[in-house]
Amino acid sequence: MWLSASSDGRRGPDRFVVLGNPGDRRVELFQTALNELRLPAAMVVSYLDLLSGKETLPRLIREGTVVRVESPGKDFEVERTLIAAGADAADGDEGFDRVSRQAAQNLSFERGRILYPRQWYLGYLATLRLIELQLAECSPYRPLPLWMNSPAEIALMFDKIACHRALSLRGAPVAPGLGAIDSFDELGERMKEQNWRRVFVKLAHGSSASGVVAYQTDGRRHQAATTVETARRDGELRLYNSRRIRVCRDWREIAQLIDALCRHRVHVEQWLPKAGFDNRTFDLRVVVIAGRACHTVARLSRSPITNLHLLNKRGDVNAVRERAGRAAWDAAMLDCERAMECFPESLYAGVDLLFTPDFRRRAVIEVNAFGDLLPGVLWQGQETYAAELRAIVGAGTR
Amino acid sequence: MIYEHITNFAGKPVKDWEAQSGIQDPEGACYALRLSYEEADEGRRWTDKFAGFLDDPSSNRVSGIVIGDWGLLSSATDETSAPVIEALVAARESLPNLRAIFFGDIIGEECEISWIRQSDISPLFTAYPRLEHFCVRGADGLSLGALKHDSLKSLIIQSGGLGVNVVREVAAADLPELEHLELWLGEENYGGDATVADLAPILDGGLFPKLKYLGLRDSQIADEIARAVATAPVVERIRVLDLSLGALSDEGAAALLVSSAIARLEKLDVHHHFCSEEMTAKLQSLGVEVDASEREKPDVYGDEVWRYVAVGE
Repeated sequence: MWLSASSDGRRGPDRFVVLGNPGDRRVELFQTALNELRLPAAMVVSYLDLLSGKETLPRLIREGTVVRVESPGKDFEVERTLIAAGADAADGDEGFDRVSRQAAQNLSFERGRILYPRQWYLGYLATLRLIELQLAECSPYRPLPLWMNSPAEIALMFDKIACHRALSLRGAPVAPGLGAIDSFDELGERMKEQNWRRVFVKLAHGSSASGVVAYQTDGRRHQAATTVETARRDGELRLYNSRRIRVCRDWREIAQLIDALCRHRVHVEQWLPKAGFDNRTFDLRVVVIAGRACHTVARLSRSPITNLHLLNKRGDVNAVRERAGRAAWDAAMLDCERAMECFPESLYAGVDLLFTPDFRRRAVIEVNAFGDLLPGVLWQGQETYAAELRAIVGAGTR
Repeated sequence: MIYEHITNFAGKPVKDWEAQSGIQDPEGACYALRLSYEEADEGRRWTDKFAGFLDDPSSNRVSGIVIGDWGLLSSATDETSAPVIEALVAARESLPNLRAIFFGDIIGEECEISWIRQSDISPLFTAYPRLEHFCVRGADGLSLGALKHDSLKSLIIQSGGLGVNVVREVAAADLPELEHLELWLGEENYGGDATVADLAPILDGGLFPKLKYLGLRDSQIADEIARAVATAPVVERIRVLDLSLGALSDEGAAALLVSSAIARLEKLDVHHHFCSEEMTAKLQSLGVEVDASEREKPDVYGDEVWRYVAVGE
């Protein structure tokens, strides 16, 4: 479990540095939370400045500084820069779609377009390593626990294949996985081997519901519900995220879509049936803070893909808890806490978990490094960011 | 789409049967037999589980059972319900008290309703002459045969598209005790190819003398059905007319409004519909109990307006 800063007798945290995108909602809300707890405003280091070398972390860090790594978010400039930063690593990473550093820097914005997520991940990995290296330079004083979330663990959470493996080894319940596959044909063969008719195919490094396909076949029919739209431009198949879930029944089209996703690396696991509530299907997003399951949202959906930004709705958590029954609910919270044991250096993350329709089994779907953006959702009277800060600075603050 | 397992059937609560907990309340509850994906992964079959259920000393007192997923979830090929029917028929001596069967409580998260592969279920009616309540979900491959049964009070066929063959089997059935008839007609895309003409023997009113509830639900052609039902003799003898879950619009609703027989019902259910606010208000002031909740908005694609049924696929 993440160790509280105040527990080792050293100087308490009195300085916060956030790596993020200035003006981003997450950064603003974190500042608000600091302010409400009468803590000093965080210094914000932008991803762009860090990557260009304009700013370095050692300059800002001294004993008592807490570093929070925020989501690089939806900023296109940052996305392009991260893809460029992944160009070198992508050289040795065969089999995936890639783009040169130069070409990455010249990419132009297209709404919703899924751009080189594998290379983006490699670029983000390089960035997380850079943060670690810079902080290592802060020696001889390795100041305080330093992280609200550790770069290495963020990297693990952003690799769905490795994360699934880690969860499984730790004994957290997960859906059986196929790991990576390279093509639709291979997917079909593997499903037959396993006797599966339903799988989720997800971009291994996608966030939110980016690049997700819920695919099913009974050997006669094929069907895919997906957030991905495709368009053919200049001889290439381009992928776009959509908030609308579309259903595709033509196997050639499904094959093309899954083959295209495979070129960016995918994670495949069995599509376990989810429980229903209030005439919808649902799963939970549980923010685990300092080892404890706290803020919980029920995500209700009419489709197999439940992410809230897809026009799905939040359910009444108390009613869902009642429906599940106390024993099932408590077991689910323990599962989320167990899942977070894979990330001992992370103060928080958002764990997604499903119940099966009989509420007797559960599975952890994902662990989201930046899954704590749930404005308005309270636990013990506090929003997520405040609860995280409270866990660091101790309950006495205010 | 159906999202939740049933919690009540034939007036009784439904409990999942597991070997460890056994049968606690054979007369007061219905027991559900579902093959979980874990059991299927371990190589167990639905019929193994059912055999375990029959071994329970209280099973001969059980009055209602619910058949859940029989392994569709963990089967790469399409398996029909035939082996399940066979097992149920073979167990007739062991289940002398059985009055209610829900065949296929499988939700969309387990299998699309139109992908549930049914089979000829007519042997069930012969094997269980004291059956009173029967519900089946999924119409692909479904056949009722020449249905004649002296005890059946309630017959429910849930589907995303009910084939004309099944509708005609119902329309030719001999069910003197039938009080509750519910057909989910669905969409043509999913096999729902019956027309209003195929329903004529039911609408004429002479077929099922004890009918009190008629549900022609989840229908893409709800407007046509509403027009036909509004003047149909059967409405004179039933108490509840259920046209819910379908694509009903102002056109069909207008026909219901002017029918004097509809105004003498106890209840009219049209929930999940596409009527205007104005028409909805008129329906609600019919003077009978009306459920006109879940007013839906059609999907619009360019010039096309698409009114969808609640359960298709």
